[in-house]
Amino acid sequence: MEMPFAVKKRRGCPFTAAGVKHIDYKDVETLSRFITERGKIIPRRITGVSARYQQKLVKAIKQARYMALLPFVGEVVKA
Amino acid sequence: MTKTASHLYEGMYILNTALTDEARQKLIDKLTGSIEEKGGELHKMFDQGRKKLAYEINKKREGHYLLLYFSVGAQMMDKLWREYGLNEDVLRFMTTRVPAVPEKIEFQPLPE
Repeated sequence: MEMPFAVKKRRGCPFTAAGVKHIDYKDVETLSRFITERGKIIPRRITGVSARYQQKLVKAIKQARYMALLPFVGEVVKA
Repeated sequence: MTKTASHLYEGMYILNTALTDEARQKLIDKLTGSIEEKGGELHKMFDQGRKKLAYEINKKREGHYLLLYFSVGAQMMDKLWREYGLNEDVLRFMTTRVPAVPEKIEFQPLPE
């Protein structure tokens, strides 16, 4: 599986760096950066998102899932 | 009943794509009409058109997305939700409180 975050050894929260105030559930492009192909939310120890923003991110992803903007279960990756 | 505060809401609706343009317009009028009926005010409407759903809802793979920004008394939300839930052409809906009405739906990508 592709691991875009682990390889780069990213430091610091991308949302804090960008000065984001609110994470919107309609912003599918940003949200999809923080889920795996399977549709799972990537833990913040890997993405480096701060605890405060991870809470907002999780909420936004779950709202987007309910509105069918993001999948609950993504494509099955065959081994 | 005491007067309660009116709040600004964002409503997102997934409408049935099987409807004709005419029938959909009628449905949209019905949705906006029911807000005004309850003493609310519609501020902005974004018709986002047909989109592929991330998963099937009621055996449908596509939906017509509609975004409404409106303010209505908090005690009216229950009634609105009930109406939406009873409407079979509204596949999904979600209302959230928002601080302000945006000019357009656009997002800044995160810097690398």
